[in-house]
Amino acid sequence: MAKNPKTKIEYADLDPIFTPKSVAVVGATDKPGKVGHAIMLNYIDAGFSGALYPVNINGESFIIGHKAYKSVLDIGEDIDLAVISVPAKYVGGVMEECGRAGVGGVVVVSSGFAEVGQTKLQDELAAVSKKYKMPMVGPNCLGVMDVRGRNDTLFLPTFKIDRPKVGGVSFASQSGSIGASTLDLMSSAGFGLSRFISYGNAAVVDEVDILNYLAHDRHTQVIVFYLEGVKRGKAFIETAKVATKLKPVVIIKSGSTNAGAGAAQSHTASLAGSYEAYRAVFRQYGFTEAEDADDLLHFAKIFDTQPLTSGKRIAVITNGGGHGVLATDAIYKNGLALPRLDKRTEDALRRVMPATVNVRMPLDIGGDADDKRFADALRAVSNDPNVDALMVIALFQTPGADDRVSESIINYAAKRQKPMVVVSSGGAYTKSHVAVMENSGVPVYESTTAAARSLAALIGYAAYREAVLQGYASPSKRME
Amino acid sequence: MGILVDYLEAKAMADRYGIRSVESAYLDSAEAAVEFSKHKPIALKALSGNALHKTKSGLVALNLSGENEIRSAFRNLAEKASAYKPYKILGQRMVSGGLEIILGGSVDPQFGKLVLIGLGGIYVETFRDFALRICPVTRYDAESMIEQLHSKSVIAQDDKARGMLVDLILSVSRMFSDNEVSELDLNPVILHDGTYDAVDIRILR
Repeated sequence: MAKNPKTKIEYADLDPIFTPKSVAVVGATDKPGKVGHAIMLNYIDAGFSGALYPVNINGESFIIGHKAYKSVLDIGEDIDLAVISVPAKYVGGVMEECGRAGVGGVVVVSSGFAEVGQTKLQDELAAVSKKYKMPMVGPNCLGVMDVRGRNDTLFLPTFKIDRPKVGGVSFASQSGSIGASTLDLMSSAGFGLSRFISYGNAAVVDEVDILNYLAHDRHTQVIVFYLEGVKRGKAFIETAKVATKLKPVVIIKSGSTNAGAGAAQSHTASLAGSYEAYRAVFRQYGFTEAEDADDLLHFAKIFDTQPLTSGKRIAVITNGGGHGVLATDAIYKNGLALPRLDKRTEDALRRVMPATVNVRMPLDIGGDADDKRFADALRAVSNDPNVDALMVIALFQTPGADDRVSESIINYAAKRQKPMVVVSSGGAYTKSHVAVMENSGVPVYESTTAAARSLAALIGYAAYREAVLQGYASPSKRME
Repeated sequence: MGILVDYLEAKAMADRYGIRSVESAYLDSAEAAVEFSKHKPIALKALSGNALHKTKSGLVALNLSGENEIRSAFRNLAEKASAYKPYKILGQRMVSGGLEIILGGSVDPQFGKLVLIGLGGIYVETFRDFALRICPVTRYDAESMIEQLHSKSVIAQDDKARGMLVDLILSVSRMFSDNEVSELDLNPVILHDGTYDAVDIRILR
């Protein structure tokens, strides 16, 4: 394992890569369709306010309206970040020049390294990075995006992929394609994003460094991680312990099958495959594991918007009886429970609800429920000491439900006293209300199952965190 | 490939960590077997490095009682085992009834030593109901391992049983962490009469 002894990368070392004041785009070109063109255009389109220096060996005077340079050494100004997209065989030379020019960090977009067996070429890049203490993301990656600072090394044209608004979710993905498609989904789902990073071959900056960086990044409230594997298991665990104590980390691991596992001599070894070991790490050190891309978005959404609770009693308010039953099933299937309402809550509800409403859990406030009835129910139920969180089912197909209902829900959500999820499923009319609610920070789900799973994820993480903060789960001596 | 540790050495290691296992001794004759039984049911197992799977090789005789039954079982076993020389015959006190669980340890190339608990015996591979944690595990980890099992309500029926299993997991974790062991199986561990006993202990160095 000590083949590549690694110089420790402190999280502040990655600042020039994520939040540069000046960027050199090496391999920039005027030719549309080229990676170096797309990267330049994106910096311009995103409205990057720092200095932008296109670099191309061909020696054009201007590239897309910016003064161009033959080498980073010719720029003569401080350069925080160099984004490199020249052919693989030239990358080492370019990095050497970056090192001499005192560049803060590099993103190597170019492919043609370890992923196609060119490990020696990749080792050379790592050596240059180490020599100049110049962190490198990549090679073979999309690089980074910082929405707040309008730093965007992605070579994906802006019209093809939605760029998200500024927010608290940061997303890391080893794979570029999964990174890009998930980013697109997150943007269209209305997430506010802080940082995005696709780190490719991880020759220098790896999953441990990234987790550490995002854990300490004050703009990141929720970390979402798409992991193919880790190279430094023990360091990953140590970093995870710190990260999950600070903020939720939603993680998904590809490769859940154990093809090629060696022959084991014991039952234990045959059961404890590689994926099972990852799952053990995720459970033990406070990650929230997502089973698929849907989970990833669903979990990120609740963590991004809702306060934590470790209480498992979920009150259900619905304007559709059938959905109340489905919600109850989903809640119990996920290890949660319905509360027993306090006597005072029941009395309060009886005073404000029509006689046709049965005061019990799940609370079916009727197909004719309007915004006032939703608001009354929300107020009474959320004040109940036996209620830890709420699931509100708002079906907009009913006659009483219109934009005033979503407003009632948004008004409650703004107080953020207890976690709340909303379930609304339907067509175009429903979707318009969903969009309004989501933009106001209400996590809305299409199914009671997704809503219950997300609540269970939130509650599970909160319980872990409480245990850790009480010193229960983390003894002084955890490492061997 | 790890090297299998001698059974009584493995048992002695478990003893040092307070892990209970059934009374066991090597027996060199049918008479020794009779004496070992003290009029209570015993099991006889022929152990040989040349026969990996005892049950499949017919090298196990269970629930033997009465002098004649024990004598003839011993002779029968010795005859079968002669095909797997060198061998030893182990006598073990039978524990009756009870649910079988498995505890164990293995080494992950990335994360190091892992401890496992699960529903054991013949159910291990069928139901794959087990929980894993990285070593050394904390009390919180051990409790959450039991919580994770589908069979938790059967194997940990009350707080006392649960507490006993938590302590057992912690002991196995300590034993596995402290020693140069690459694979470890306590399978089965039989839960009976409010306590437990490991019936087979396989330790690979």
